[in-house]
Amino acid sequence: MFHAEKFIEKTASSLSEDITRKALIAFSGGVDSTVCAALVNKAIGDRLIAVHVNTGYMRKNESELVVQMMKELSLNYRYVDASQEYYAALKGVEDPERKRKIIGEKFIRIFEQVAREEHIDCLVQGTIAPDWIESGGGLRDTIKSHHNVGGLPQEMELRLVEPLRDLYKDEVRKVARALQLTVAERQPFPGPGLAIRIIGEATEERTRLVREACAIVEQEIERASQKGVMQLPWQYFAVLIPIKTVGVHGDKRAYGNTIAIRAVQSVDAMTCHYSTIPHEVLDAISTKITNTLKEKVNRIVYDVTNKPPGTVEWE
Amino acid sequence: MGIIGMVRIFVVDNGGQWTHREWRTLRDLEVETKIVPNTIRFQELQHEDVHGLVLSGGAPRIGLDGTLGNCAELLEKADIPILGICAGHQFIARFFGGDVAPSAIPEFGQVEVTILEDDVIFEGVPKKSVVWESHNDEVIRLPQECTRVAESENCLVQAMRHKKKPFYGLQFHPEVEHTQYGEQIFKNFISLCTE
Repeated sequence: MFHAEKFIEKTASSLSEDITRKALIAFSGGVDSTVCAALVNKAIGDRLIAVHVNTGYMRKNESELVVQMMKELSLNYRYVDASQEYYAALKGVEDPERKRKIIGEKFIRIFEQVAREEHIDCLVQGTIAPDWIESGGGLRDTIKSHHNVGGLPQEMELRLVEPLRDLYKDEVRKVARALQLTVAERQPFPGPGLAIRIIGEATEERTRLVREACAIVEQEIERASQKGVMQLPWQYFAVLIPIKTVGVHGDKRAYGNTIAIRAVQSVDAMTCHYSTIPHEVLDAISTKITNTLKEKVNRIVYDVTNKPPGTVEWE
Repeated sequence: MGIIGMVRIFVVDNGGQWTHREWRTLRDLEVETKIVPNTIRFQELQHEDVHGLVLSGGAPRIGLDGTLGNCAELLEKADIPILGICAGHQFIARFFGGDVAPSAIPEFGQVEVTILEDDVIFEGVPKKSVVWESHNDEVIRLPQECTRVAESENCLVQAMRHKKKPFYGLQFHPEVEHTQYGEQIFKNFISLCTE
Protein backbone atom coordinates (compact mmCIF):
# COMPACT_ATOMS: atom_id res chain seq x y z
CA MET A 1 0.00 0.00 0.00
CA PHE A 2 1.01 3.64 -0.40
CA HIS A 3 1.99 5.22 2.93
CA ALA A 4 1.67 9.00 2.85
CA GLU A 5 3.67 9.62 6.03
CA LYS A 6 6.58 7.47 4.87
CA PHE A 7 6.48 9.17 1.49
CA ILE A 8 6.61 12.63 3.09
CA GLU A 9 9.53 11.72 5.30
CA LYS A 10 11.53 10.10 2.52
CA THR A 11 10.81 12.82 -0.03
CA ALA A 12 11.56 15.74 2.27
CA SER A 13 14.92 14.25 3.20
CA SER A 14 15.92 13.50 -0.40
CA LEU A 15 14.79 16.97 -1.51
CA SER A 16 16.96 18.66 1.10
CA GLU A 17 19.95 16.72 -0.24
CA ASP A 18 19.04 17.35 -3.85
CA ILE A 19 18.31 21.09 -3.70
CA THR A 20 21.37 22.83 -2.32
CA ARG A 21 20.60 26.33 -3.55
CA LYS A 22 17.34 28.07 -4.39
CA ALA A 23 14.40 26.53 -6.22
CA LEU A 24 11.38 27.80 -8.09
CA ILE A 25 8.07 25.98 -8.05
CA ALA A 26 5.47 26.24 -10.80
CA PHE A 27 2.41 26.89 -8.64
CA SER A 28 -1.03 26.51 -10.18
CA GLY A 29 -2.79 26.13 -6.86
CA GLY A 30 -4.00 22.62 -7.64
CA VAL A 31 -3.42 19.58 -5.42
CA ASP A 32 -0.20 18.48 -7.14
CA SER A 33 1.69 21.77 -7.09
CA THR A 34 0.48 22.63 -3.60
CA VAL A 35 1.63 19.28 -2.19
CA CYS A 36 4.94 19.75 -3.99
CA ALA A 37 5.36 23.26 -2.59
CA ALA A 38 4.62 22.04 0.93
CA LEU A 39 7.17 19.21 0.60
CA VAL A 40 9.90 21.42 -0.82
CA ASN A 41 9.13 24.10 1.75
CA LYS A 42 9.61 21.47 4.44
CA ALA A 43 12.96 20.56 2.92
CA ILE A 44 14.52 23.93 2.03
CA GLY A 45 12.30 26.54 3.70
CA ASP A 46 12.44 30.06 2.32
CA ARG A 47 14.94 29.17 -0.40
CA LEU A 48 11.81 28.22 -2.36
CA ILE A 49 10.00 30.73 -4.55
CA ALA A 50 6.53 29.89 -5.81
CA VAL A 51 5.54 31.39 -9.16
CA HIS A 52 1.92 31.56 -10.25
CA VAL A 53 1.31 32.45 -13.88
CA ASN A 54 -2.08 33.78 -14.86
CA THR A 55 -2.30 32.44 -18.40
CA GLY A 56 -5.62 34.11 -19.10
CA TYR A 57 -7.04 30.59 -19.27
CA MET A 58 -7.74 30.28 -15.55
CA ARG A 59 -11.23 29.76 -14.14
CA LYS A 60 -13.36 32.52 -12.66
CA ASN A 61 -11.48 34.41 -9.89
CA GLU A 62 -8.96 31.55 -9.77
CA SER A 63 -5.71 33.52 -9.84
CA GLU A 64 -6.87 35.77 -7.01
CA LEU A 65 -7.67 32.66 -5.00
CA VAL A 66 -4.26 31.13 -5.77
CA VAL A 67 -2.43 34.28 -4.62
CA GLN A 68 -4.45 34.07 -1.41
CA MET A 69 -3.42 30.43 -1.00
CA MET A 70 0.28 31.24 -1.48
CA LYS A 71 -0.04 33.86 1.27
CA GLU A 72 -1.78 31.43 3.60
CA LEU A 73 0.94 28.84 3.02
CA SER A 74 3.51 31.54 3.86
CA LEU A 75 5.35 30.93 0.60
CA ASN A 76 7.74 33.39 -1.01
CA TYR A 77 5.81 34.04 -4.16
CA ARG A 78 5.66 35.87 -7.45
CA TYR A 79 2.48 36.47 -9.42
CA VAL A 80 2.86 36.93 -13.18
CA ASP A 81 -0.09 38.08 -15.26
CA ALA A 82 0.76 36.88 -18.77
CA SER A 83 -2.82 36.71 -20.11
CA GLN A 84 -2.32 38.99 -23.09
CA GLU A 85 0.94 37.24 -24.03
CA TYR A 86 -0.83 33.87 -24.03
CA TYR A 87 -3.79 35.09 -26.08
CA ALA A 88 -1.34 36.52 -28.62
CA ALA A 89 0.72 33.31 -28.75
CA LEU A 90 -2.39 31.19 -29.36
CA LYS A 91 -3.85 33.47 -32.03
CA GLY A 92 -4.99 31.36 -34.98
CA VAL A 93 -3.90 28.09 -33.31
CA GLU A 94 -6.49 25.31 -33.55
CA ASP A 95 -4.48 22.10 -33.18
CA PRO A 96 -4.67 20.79 -29.59
CA GLU A 97 -1.08 19.55 -29.56
CA ARG A 98 0.22 22.90 -30.80
CA LYS A 99 -1.82 24.69 -28.12
CA ARG A 100 -0.31 22.49 -25.43
CA LYS A 101 3.25 22.93 -26.69
CA ILE A 102 2.99 26.72 -27.02
CA ILE A 103 1.58 26.95 -23.50
CA GLY A 104 4.25 24.58 -22.12
CA GLU A 105 7.09 26.54 -23.67
CA LYS A 106 5.70 29.87 -22.49
CA PHE A 107 5.53 28.64 -18.91
CA ILE A 108 9.21 27.67 -19.05
CA ARG A 109 10.32 30.99 -20.57
CA ILE A 110 8.50 32.87 -17.79
CA PHE A 111 10.03 30.64 -15.11
CA GLU A 112 13.49 31.12 -16.65
CA GLN A 113 13.05 34.89 -16.50
CA VAL A 114 12.19 34.77 -12.79
CA ALA A 115 14.99 32.26 -12.18
CA ARG A 116 17.57 34.57 -13.75
CA GLU A 117 16.44 37.46 -11.57
CA GLU A 118 16.50 35.31 -8.43
CA HIS A 119 19.62 33.26 -9.30
CA ILE A 120 17.73 29.98 -9.26
CA ASP A 121 18.89 26.88 -11.16
CA CYS A 122 16.19 24.38 -10.34
CA LEU A 123 12.51 24.09 -11.26
CA VAL A 124 10.14 22.03 -9.14
CA GLN A 125 7.03 20.73 -10.88
CA GLY A 126 4.08 18.76 -9.53
CA THR A 127 4.27 16.25 -12.39
CA ILE A 128 2.36 13.04 -11.58
CA ALA A 129 2.28 9.64 -13.30
CA PRO A 130 -0.46 10.25 -15.90
CA ASP A 131 1.37 13.38 -17.11
CA TRP A 132 4.48 11.53 -18.29
CA ILE A 133 2.60 8.36 -19.25
CA GLU A 134 0.22 10.18 -21.61
CA SER A 135 2.97 12.45 -22.95
CA GLY A 136 4.56 9.32 -24.44
CA GLY A 137 8.15 8.81 -25.52
CA GLY A 138 10.16 5.70 -26.31
CA LEU A 139 7.74 2.83 -26.88
CA ARG A 140 4.78 4.73 -25.44
CA ASP A 141 2.39 6.52 -27.78
CA THR A 142 1.65 10.21 -27.18
CA ILE A 143 -1.99 10.56 -26.14
CA LYS A 144 -1.55 14.24 -25.32
CA SER A 145 1.50 16.36 -24.51
CA HIS A 146 1.04 17.47 -20.93
CA HIS A 147 2.42 21.01 -20.68
CA ASN A 148 4.85 20.04 -17.92
CA VAL A 149 6.34 17.03 -19.77
CA GLY A 150 5.66 16.71 -23.49
CA GLY A 151 5.11 20.47 -23.74
CA LEU A 152 8.56 21.34 -22.39
CA PRO A 153 10.95 23.01 -24.85
CA GLN A 154 14.00 21.01 -25.96
CA GLU A 155 16.42 23.61 -24.59
CA MET A 156 15.94 24.56 -20.96
CA GLU A 157 18.13 26.47 -18.52
CA LEU A 158 16.57 24.94 -15.43
CA ARG A 159 17.11 21.54 -13.86
CA LEU A 160 13.82 19.71 -13.20
CA VAL A 161 12.85 18.26 -9.84
CA GLU A 162 9.62 16.24 -9.81
CA PRO A 163 9.02 14.54 -6.47
CA LEU A 164 5.51 13.24 -7.33
CA ARG A 165 6.38 11.48 -10.62
CA ASP A 166 5.34 8.02 -9.46
CA LEU A 167 2.10 9.12 -7.80
CA TYR A 168 -1.48 9.19 -9.05
CA LYS A 169 -4.04 11.77 -7.98
CA ASP A 170 -5.56 9.64 -5.20
CA GLU A 171 -2.10 9.16 -3.69
CA VAL A 172 -1.30 12.89 -3.96
CA ARG A 173 -4.56 13.57 -2.12
CA LYS A 174 -3.46 11.19 0.65
CA VAL A 175 -0.22 13.16 0.98
CA ALA A 176 -2.20 16.43 0.98
CA ARG A 177 -4.44 15.16 3.78
CA ALA A 178 -1.44 14.02 5.80
CA LEU A 179 0.05 17.51 5.35
CA GLN A 180 -3.35 18.97 6.35
CA LEU A 181 -3.64 21.02 3.18
CA THR A 182 -7.14 22.38 2.51
CA VAL A 183 -6.55 21.89 -1.22
CA ALA A 184 -6.63 18.06 -0.80
CA GLU A 185 -10.10 17.57 -2.30
CA ARG A 186 -9.92 20.21 -5.05
CA GLN A 187 -10.92 18.88 -8.47
CA PRO A 188 -8.14 18.55 -11.09
CA PHE A 189 -7.62 21.40 -13.54
CA PRO A 190 -5.24 21.01 -16.49
CA GLY A 191 -2.17 23.25 -16.81
CA PRO A 192 -3.21 24.59 -20.24
CA GLY A 193 -6.46 25.55 -18.54
CA LEU A 194 -9.50 26.71 -20.44
CA ALA A 195 -7.48 26.83 -23.69
CA ILE A 196 -8.07 23.09 -24.08
CA ARG A 197 -11.75 23.40 -23.13
CA ILE A 198 -12.30 25.46 -26.26
CA ILE A 199 -12.35 23.41 -29.42
CA GLY A 200 -10.56 25.44 -32.09
CA GLU A 201 -8.98 28.83 -31.54
CA ALA A 202 -8.84 29.87 -27.87
CA THR A 203 -9.63 33.57 -28.25
CA GLU A 204 -10.20 35.88 -25.31
CA GLU A 205 -13.92 36.10 -26.16
CA ARG A 206 -14.37 32.34 -26.35
CA THR A 207 -12.45 32.00 -23.10
CA ARG A 208 -14.94 34.35 -21.47
CA LEU A 209 -17.79 32.07 -22.61
CA VAL A 210 -16.28 28.80 -21.44
CA ARG A 211 -15.13 30.38 -18.17
CA GLU A 212 -18.70 31.43 -17.42
CA ALA A 213 -20.06 28.01 -18.42
CA CYS A 214 -17.47 26.20 -16.27
CA ALA A 215 -18.39 28.38 -13.30
CA ILE A 216 -22.08 27.50 -13.74
CA VAL A 217 -21.38 23.75 -14.06
CA GLU A 218 -19.22 23.84 -10.92
CA GLN A 219 -21.72 25.89 -8.96
CA GLU A 220 -24.78 23.81 -9.84
CA ILE A 221 -23.07 20.45 -9.33
CA GLU A 222 -21.55 21.53 -6.01
CA ARG A 223 -24.92 22.81 -4.86
CA ALA A 224 -26.62 19.55 -5.86
CA SER A 225 -24.02 17.47 -4.09
CA GLN A 226 -24.32 19.55 -0.93
CA LYS A 227 -28.07 18.94 -1.02
CA GLY A 228 -27.41 15.23 -1.35
CA VAL A 229 -28.99 15.03 -4.81
CA MET A 230 -25.81 13.56 -6.31
CA GLN A 231 -22.30 12.51 -5.42
CA LEU A 232 -19.61 15.07 -6.25
CA PRO A 233 -17.90 13.85 -9.44
CA TRP A 234 -14.14 13.44 -9.66
CA GLN A 235 -14.00 16.24 -12.24
CA TYR A 236 -16.76 18.40 -13.76
CA PHE A 237 -16.65 21.23 -16.24
CA ALA A 238 -17.89 22.71 -19.53
CA VAL A 239 -16.40 22.55 -23.03
CA LEU A 240 -17.07 25.12 -25.72
CA ILE A 241 -17.80 23.64 -29.13
CA PRO A 242 -17.81 26.51 -31.59
CA ILE A 243 -20.36 24.82 -33.84
CA LYS A 244 -23.45 26.87 -34.41
CA THR A 245 -26.96 25.51 -34.35
CA VAL A 246 -30.34 27.12 -34.76
CA GLY A 247 -32.54 28.08 -31.83
CA VAL A 248 -35.38 30.39 -30.99
CA HIS A 249 -35.05 33.24 -28.51
CA GLY A 250 -38.20 35.27 -27.83
CA ASP A 251 -39.85 34.57 -31.18
CA LYS A 252 -36.62 35.38 -32.99
CA ARG A 253 -34.18 33.07 -34.71
CA ALA A 254 -31.02 32.36 -32.69
CA TYR A 255 -27.81 30.91 -34.12
CA GLY A 256 -25.26 30.27 -31.40
CA ASN A 257 -22.49 28.00 -30.09
CA THR A 258 -22.74 24.71 -28.24
CA ILE A 259 -21.57 23.88 -24.71
CA ALA A 260 -20.91 20.32 -23.57
CA ILE A 261 -21.24 19.27 -19.94
CA ARG A 262 -18.51 16.85 -18.89
CA ALA A 263 -18.31 15.07 -15.53
CA VAL A 264 -16.44 11.86 -14.70
CA GLN A 265 -15.82 9.40 -11.89
CA SER A 266 -12.26 8.24 -11.47
CA VAL A 267 -9.60 7.41 -8.94
CA ASP A 268 -6.41 7.95 -10.87
CA ALA A 269 -7.45 9.54 -14.20
CA MET A 270 -6.21 6.46 -16.08
CA THR A 271 -9.74 5.12 -16.56
CA CYS A 272 -12.95 7.07 -16.07
CA HIS A 273 -16.66 6.48 -16.14
CA TYR A 274 -18.89 9.39 -17.10
CA SER A 275 -20.91 10.65 -14.12
CA THR A 276 -24.65 10.26 -14.06
CA ILE A 277 -25.94 13.74 -13.31
CA PRO A 278 -29.64 13.78 -12.33
CA HIS A 279 -31.90 15.40 -14.93
CA GLU A 280 -33.01 18.17 -12.58
CA VAL A 281 -29.36 19.22 -12.20
CA LEU A 282 -28.74 19.02 -15.96
CA ASP A 283 -31.86 21.14 -16.41
CA ALA A 284 -30.62 23.80 -14.01
CA ILE A 285 -27.20 23.91 -15.69
CA SER A 286 -28.68 24.05 -19.19
CA THR A 287 -31.10 26.88 -18.43
CA LYS A 288 -28.58 28.90 -16.49
CA ILE A 289 -25.87 28.67 -19.17
CA THR A 290 -28.17 29.61 -22.05
CA ASN A 291 -29.80 32.43 -20.07
CA THR A 292 -26.43 33.82 -19.01
CA LEU A 293 -24.62 33.51 -22.33
CA LYS A 294 -27.74 34.50 -24.33
CA GLU A 295 -27.13 34.86 -28.07
CA LYS A 296 -23.66 33.28 -27.81
CA VAL A 297 -24.83 29.83 -26.67
CA ASN A 298 -28.18 28.24 -27.44
CA ARG A 299 -27.48 24.51 -27.18
CA ILE A 300 -26.23 22.30 -24.34
CA VAL A 301 -25.13 18.67 -24.75
CA TYR A 302 -24.11 16.06 -22.18
CA ASP A 303 -20.96 13.99 -22.75
CA VAL A 304 -21.52 10.29 -21.99
CA THR A 305 -18.08 8.96 -23.00
CA ASN A 306 -15.89 6.81 -20.77
CA LYS A 307 -12.08 6.76 -20.79
CA PRO A 308 -11.17 4.84 -22.86
CA PRO A 309 -12.27 5.51 -25.57
CA GLY A 310 -12.39 9.23 -24.64
CA THR A 311 -10.08 11.18 -22.35
CA VAL A 312 -11.37 13.42 -19.54
CA GLU A 313 -10.61 16.70 -21.28
CA TRP A 314 -11.59 17.00 -24.93
CA GLU A 315 -8.15 18.06 -26.16
CA MET B 1 16.52 -4.37 1.71
CA GLY B 2 13.50 -6.48 0.85
CA ILE B 3 11.64 -8.53 3.41
CA ILE B 4 12.86 -12.13 3.32
CA GLY B 5 10.37 -14.27 1.47
CA MET B 6 8.81 -11.28 -0.30
CA VAL B 7 7.45 -11.99 -3.77
CA ARG B 8 9.30 -10.34 -6.62
CA ILE B 9 7.33 -9.73 -9.80
CA PHE B 10 8.68 -7.46 -12.51
CA VAL B 11 6.65 -5.60 -15.10
CA VAL B 12 8.12 -5.84 -18.61
CA ASP B 13 7.29 -2.53 -20.31
CA ASN B 14 5.98 -2.82 -23.85
CA GLY B 15 4.94 0.83 -23.91
CA GLY B 16 1.40 0.53 -22.57
CA GLN B 17 -0.58 3.39 -21.06
CA TRP B 18 -1.21 1.22 -18.02
CA THR B 19 2.27 -0.33 -17.49
CA HIS B 20 2.77 1.89 -14.44
CA ARG B 21 -0.69 0.92 -13.16
CA GLU B 22 0.43 -2.73 -13.22
CA TRP B 23 3.45 -1.71 -11.15
CA ARG B 24 1.18 0.19 -8.76
CA THR B 25 -1.28 -2.71 -8.33
CA LEU B 26 1.57 -5.11 -7.52
CA ARG B 27 3.13 -2.62 -5.10
CA ASP B 28 -0.25 -2.06 -3.41
CA LEU B 29 -0.44 -5.82 -2.90
CA GLU B 30 2.93 -5.69 -1.10
CA VAL B 31 4.87 -7.28 -3.95
CA GLU B 32 8.45 -6.19 -4.58
CA THR B 33 8.22 -4.88 -8.11
CA LYS B 34 9.83 -2.71 -10.71
CA ILE B 35 9.30 -1.76 -14.33
CA VAL B 36 11.97 -3.11 -16.68
CA PRO B 37 12.44 -2.38 -20.41
CA ASN B 38 11.32 -5.16 -22.75
CA THR B 39 14.88 -5.39 -24.07
CA ILE B 40 15.93 -7.06 -20.80
CA ARG B 41 17.76 -10.40 -21.16
CA PHE B 42 16.47 -13.47 -19.37
CA GLN B 43 19.84 -13.84 -17.67
CA GLU B 44 19.50 -10.43 -16.03
CA LEU B 45 16.15 -11.46 -14.56
CA GLN B 46 17.67 -14.70 -13.26
CA HIS B 47 20.28 -12.65 -11.38
CA GLU B 48 17.47 -10.75 -9.69
CA ASP B 49 15.70 -13.92 -8.54
CA VAL B 50 12.34 -12.92 -9.96
CA HIS B 51 9.26 -15.04 -9.11
CA GLY B 52 7.00 -13.87 -11.92
CA LEU B 53 6.63 -11.50 -14.86
CA VAL B 54 3.90 -9.31 -16.25
CA LEU B 55 4.20 -8.53 -19.96
CA SER B 56 2.46 -5.17 -20.32
CA GLY B 57 0.27 -3.92 -23.11
CA GLY B 58 1.77 -1.72 -25.76
CA ALA B 59 1.28 1.10 -28.19
CA PRO B 60 -1.29 0.52 -30.95
CA ARG B 61 -0.74 -2.49 -33.21
CA ILE B 62 2.44 -3.69 -31.50
CA GLY B 63 0.77 -7.00 -30.68
CA LEU B 64 0.02 -7.56 -34.33
CA ASP B 65 3.48 -7.84 -35.81
CA GLY B 66 5.97 -6.21 -33.44
CA THR B 67 8.74 -8.29 -31.88
CA LEU B 68 8.03 -6.81 -28.44
CA GLY B 69 11.71 -6.39 -27.62
CA ASN B 70 13.10 -9.49 -26.02
CA CYS B 71 9.79 -11.00 -24.88
CA ALA B 72 10.33 -14.05 -27.10
CA GLU B 73 13.48 -15.03 -25.19
CA LEU B 74 11.65 -14.60 -21.89
CA LEU B 75 8.83 -16.91 -23.03
CA GLU B 76 11.30 -19.42 -24.38
CA LYS B 77 13.47 -19.68 -21.27
CA ALA B 78 11.24 -18.81 -18.32
CA ASP B 79 9.66 -21.40 -16.05
CA ILE B 80 8.25 -18.79 -13.68
CA PRO B 81 4.62 -17.60 -14.10
CA ILE B 82 4.06 -15.00 -16.82
CA LEU B 83 0.95 -12.86 -17.19
CA GLY B 84 0.56 -11.20 -20.59
CA ILE B 85 -1.85 -8.28 -20.77
CA CYS B 86 -3.38 -6.97 -24.01
CA ALA B 87 -0.43 -6.70 -26.46
CA GLY B 88 1.53 -8.95 -24.06
CA HIS B 89 -1.28 -11.53 -24.27
CA GLN B 90 -1.42 -11.28 -28.06
CA PHE B 91 2.32 -11.76 -28.25
CA ILE B 92 2.15 -14.94 -26.15
CA ALA B 93 -0.47 -16.27 -28.57
CA ARG B 94 1.70 -15.50 -31.59
CA PHE B 95 4.81 -16.91 -29.92
CA PHE B 96 3.14 -20.30 -29.47
CA GLY B 97 1.78 -20.36 -33.00
CA GLY B 98 -1.59 -18.62 -32.76
CA ASP B 99 -2.81 -15.71 -34.88
CA VAL B 100 -3.58 -12.11 -34.03
CA ALA B 101 -5.58 -9.83 -36.32
CA PRO B 102 -7.46 -6.52 -36.20
CA SER B 103 -10.71 -6.94 -34.28
CA ALA B 104 -13.93 -6.86 -36.28
CA ILE B 105 -15.36 -4.91 -33.35
CA PRO B 106 -12.62 -3.37 -31.20
CA GLU B 107 -13.48 -2.86 -27.53
CA PHE B 108 -12.76 0.32 -25.55
CA GLY B 109 -13.93 0.90 -22.00
CA GLN B 110 -16.54 -1.17 -20.20
CA VAL B 111 -17.22 -4.76 -21.32
CA GLU B 112 -18.72 -7.83 -19.65
CA VAL B 113 -16.59 -10.98 -19.71
CA THR B 114 -17.71 -14.53 -19.13
CA ILE B 115 -15.42 -17.11 -17.56
CA LEU B 116 -15.64 -20.41 -19.46
CA GLU B 117 -13.96 -22.79 -17.06
CA ASP B 118 -12.63 -22.82 -13.49
CA ASP B 119 -9.06 -21.69 -13.29
CA VAL B 120 -6.83 -20.45 -10.47
CA ILE B 121 -6.35 -17.13 -12.25
CA PHE B 122 -10.09 -16.42 -11.84
CA GLU B 123 -10.51 -17.82 -8.34
CA GLY B 124 -13.03 -15.67 -6.45
CA VAL B 125 -14.21 -13.96 -9.65
CA PRO B 126 -17.87 -14.49 -10.65
CA LYS B 127 -18.71 -16.15 -13.97
CA LYS B 128 -19.71 -12.75 -15.39
CA SER B 129 -18.04 -9.49 -14.41
CA VAL B 130 -17.21 -6.02 -15.71
CA VAL B 131 -13.74 -5.40 -17.10
CA TRP B 132 -12.15 -2.50 -19.00
CA GLU B 133 -10.70 -2.91 -22.44
CA SER B 134 -8.63 -0.92 -24.89
CA HIS B 135 -7.70 -2.95 -27.94
CA ASN B 136 -7.69 -2.70 -31.72
CA ASP B 137 -6.46 -6.28 -32.30
CA GLU B 138 -7.19 -9.67 -30.79
CA VAL B 139 -6.22 -13.34 -30.81
CA ILE B 140 -8.23 -14.91 -33.64
CA ARG B 141 -6.66 -18.38 -33.54
CA LEU B 142 -5.57 -19.98 -30.29
CA PRO B 143 -2.22 -21.84 -30.24
CA GLN B 144 -2.64 -25.61 -29.79
CA GLU B 145 -0.71 -25.40 -26.53
CA CYS B 146 -3.23 -22.95 -25.02
CA THR B 147 -6.79 -23.14 -23.67
CA ARG B 148 -9.44 -20.46 -23.81
CA VAL B 149 -10.57 -19.39 -20.32
CA ALA B 150 -12.82 -16.37 -20.88
CA GLU B 151 -14.72 -14.55 -23.64
CA SER B 152 -16.85 -11.47 -24.27
CA GLU B 153 -19.62 -10.77 -26.75
CA ASN B 154 -17.22 -9.40 -29.35
CA CYS B 155 -13.97 -11.16 -28.51
CA LEU B 156 -13.64 -14.93 -28.12
CA VAL B 157 -10.25 -14.96 -26.44
CA GLN B 158 -10.50 -12.65 -23.43
CA ALA B 159 -8.30 -15.00 -21.41
CA MET B 160 -6.16 -18.02 -22.20
CA ARG B 161 -3.66 -20.20 -20.40
CA HIS B 162 -0.83 -22.40 -21.53
CA LYS B 163 -1.61 -26.09 -21.04
CA LYS B 164 1.78 -27.00 -19.54
CA LYS B 165 3.54 -23.79 -18.49
CA PRO B 166 2.31 -21.24 -15.90
CA PHE B 167 1.66 -18.68 -18.64
CA TYR B 168 -1.55 -16.64 -18.89
CA GLY B 169 -2.86 -14.09 -21.35
CA LEU B 170 -5.61 -11.53 -20.73
CA GLN B 171 -7.05 -9.32 -23.43
CA PHE B 172 -8.67 -7.01 -20.87
CA HIS B 173 -6.91 -4.91 -18.24
CA PRO B 174 -7.02 -6.22 -14.66
CA GLU B 175 -4.70 -3.39 -13.53
CA VAL B 176 -7.15 -0.51 -13.95
CA GLU B 177 -9.44 0.72 -11.21
CA HIS B 178 -12.64 0.18 -13.17
CA THR B 179 -12.11 -3.56 -13.76
CA GLN B 180 -14.35 -5.02 -11.08
CA TYR B 181 -12.23 -7.97 -9.96
CA GLY B 182 -8.86 -6.77 -11.26
CA GLU B 183 -7.17 -6.82 -7.90
CA GLN B 184 -8.45 -10.36 -7.23
CA ILE B 185 -6.94 -11.54 -10.52
CA PHE B 186 -3.59 -10.01 -9.53
CA LYS B 187 -3.83 -11.70 -6.12
CA ASN B 188 -4.39 -15.02 -7.89
CA PHE B 189 -1.38 -14.43 -10.12
CA ILE B 190 0.74 -13.53 -7.08
CA SER B 191 -0.32 -16.82 -5.43
CA LEU B 192 0.82 -18.65 -8.56
CA CYS B 193 4.19 -16.94 -8.26
CA THR B 194 4.65 -18.01 -4.65
CA GLU B 195 4.01 -21.70 -5.33
